[in-house]
Amino acid sequence: MINRPLAIAAALLLLLLLPLVLQGPYIRHLFILAFLFAIVAASWDLTLGLTGLFNFGHIAFFGLGVYTAGILTTQAGVDPWLVIPIAGIVAALAAFVVAAPTLRLRGIYVVLVTFAFSQLCLQVVMSQGDLTGGAGGIVRVPSLRISDYNFARDQRLGYYYVSLVLSLACIAALVAIARSPLGKTARAVRDNPEYAAARGIDQMRIRLTMLVISAIPTGIAGALYCIYFRVAAPEVFSFSTSTLILTMLLVGGAGSIVGPAVAAVGIVMISEYLEQFPDLKATKHMLLAVGIILVLRFFPGGLAQISANLFARSAKTVGATPERAP
Amino acid sequence: MADIIVSILVSGLVLGSLYALMASGLSMVWTTLGIFNFAHGVSMTVGAYVAYEIAQRLGPDLWVGYSILLALVVMAAVGAAFEYLLIRPFYGRDDMVLVTIMTTLAGLTFLENGVLTIWGPRLKQLEPLIPGNISYGLVNISRQELIIVLVAPVILLALFLVLNHTQIGRAIRAVGQNQKSAQLIGIPVTRMFLVSFGLAAALAGLAGMLLAGVRLMTPTMGADPLMKALIVVIFGGLGSIGGSIGAAYVIGFLEAILIFTVGIYWTPSMLFLLMVLVLLFRPQGLFGAKNPSSL
Repeated sequence: MINRPLAIAAALLLLLLLPLVLQGPYIRHLFILAFLFAIVAASWDLTLGLTGLFNFGHIAFFGLGVYTAGILTTQAGVDPWLVIPIAGIVAALAAFVVAAPTLRLRGIYVVLVTFAFSQLCLQVVMSQGDLTGGAGGIVRVPSLRISDYNFARDQRLGYYYVSLVLSLACIAALVAIARSPLGKTARAVRDNPEYAAARGIDQMRIRLTMLVISAIPTGIAGALYCIYFRVAAPEVFSFSTSTLILTMLLVGGAGSIVGPAVAAVGIVMISEYLEQFPDLKATKHMLLAVGIILVLRFFPGGLAQISANLFARSAKTVGATPERAP
Repeated sequence: MADIIVSILVSGLVLGSLYALMASGLSMVWTTLGIFNFAHGVSMTVGAYVAYEIAQRLGPDLWVGYSILLALVVMAAVGAAFEYLLIRPFYGRDDMVLVTIMTTLAGLTFLENGVLTIWGPRLKQLEPLIPGNISYGLVNISRQELIIVLVAPVILLALFLVLNHTQIGRAIRAVGQNQKSAQLIGIPVTRMFLVSFGLAAALAGLAGMLLAGVRLMTPTMGADPLMKALIVVIFGGLGSIGGSIGAAYVIGFLEAILIFTVGIYWTPSMLFLLMVLVLLFRPQGLFGAKNPSSL
């Protein structure tokens, strides 16, 4: 009974009109955060979910984006608009660096190297205090401007639309990649590496391509995150950030790209709501951890699986067979 | 010059002993269950805090060693409970390696924040087993560090003897080598998982309790040792407990040397670079078998 294109169009229209209805800067702030994390979660899903690459250092690309923006704008005076694409390039370069030792490895060793890489980034940021501000981070990052229009003084309306457009563009690109022959090849590598190799698929090339592609939107999101908050703090590399995004990925459904992006919106709302109570900061992370375990245990396909069932059920009335979700 | 070399040797020995305690448990769980336990570092934190709590309850008159012994029992139970809740439900799934990475990461977040909630962010310290320092010639070492250096090989030797010469140890290794055959000859496989998780948590906990007598305790104290244990098992090859222990001492000394030469800030990057080089040329680890397991 549910019409997919119509539902998507309605959701987009709603997102475009939402800030006109919701006037408060706080609710807009929640959506900005949600859009940025949606990019990170969806692009992580491209490697972890779709390609089956055990990449646990994805947060490093985000953190590098944050610090690229912070360092270039405050120390080199680069325009904040320009920094956003630069951060994407820096993250892509970092992906090459991580790829060098990981591509020949399999399974758990990939996890160890990528994870160690993200911890290494944190340690470098902490130790290079002159450049990164160490534990204190970088403050007073300049805000976005269009000639005289300052994005910091418009009740967050400008940032809402910038992050919405960026996030829609990134997610549309990621979905297009997932549906392209490249995405299908990646899925083949994940589901049956031996058969994929037998069919002449170069696994190393696919994994490298996917890792680099997934790093670009993440770096971009990191840069906008930095410019929006006007600070770059080492917490972006932490376990907590990783866990938060992993929760989005799993709740949304690994391998579905759109699922994690949708889940990001809900999880940011819950997480930020709990943020109001400073005493509950640790409890919040504990709840997220329990959430991960419960989802893995009882809903391994996440929201995407649930919605696929929903669509399948409505399609069944016209005789279609339900599609098997990844 | 001589005093610098001696102090490098001493600090390398102390670090190596701690890493060996950590890495042996990590490697044992990997060989038995095929699971990489990211919560291994936080077991160290929990161990230290549990010992602290027990020591507080028992009062300052009682020697801290008793608290540590009690805490070790608690840690074995914590490890077993961890396996029961976070690992067992996912056993036999195709994507078990990946799923358990996520559940152990979730367990890490849960326990770390749990420690923060219960004991707060304030720095704490456990009484050293024997207070004071020892100076002998150029060697200057606190008694607690000396205990770490001496206890670690004893514990690791005991672990080696248990794994090789007792029924339960052989059963654990049998499960690691071939789970189905082990089951066929009547080894209770799931109980062995419970035992190895409990043992690993107790080993990590011990490392934490000993460290808490030298350094201050924080809820995130396990993060850096986990990172080091991770580098250690990559160096040593994940599948080999002996290799991991050897690598732990190598990394300990390397770290001590690097801290003196390139400084504390660049040491992690240098270690990471070394790890990358090892992986590029010997993906099975320095001491690992030629034929690494498929995962």
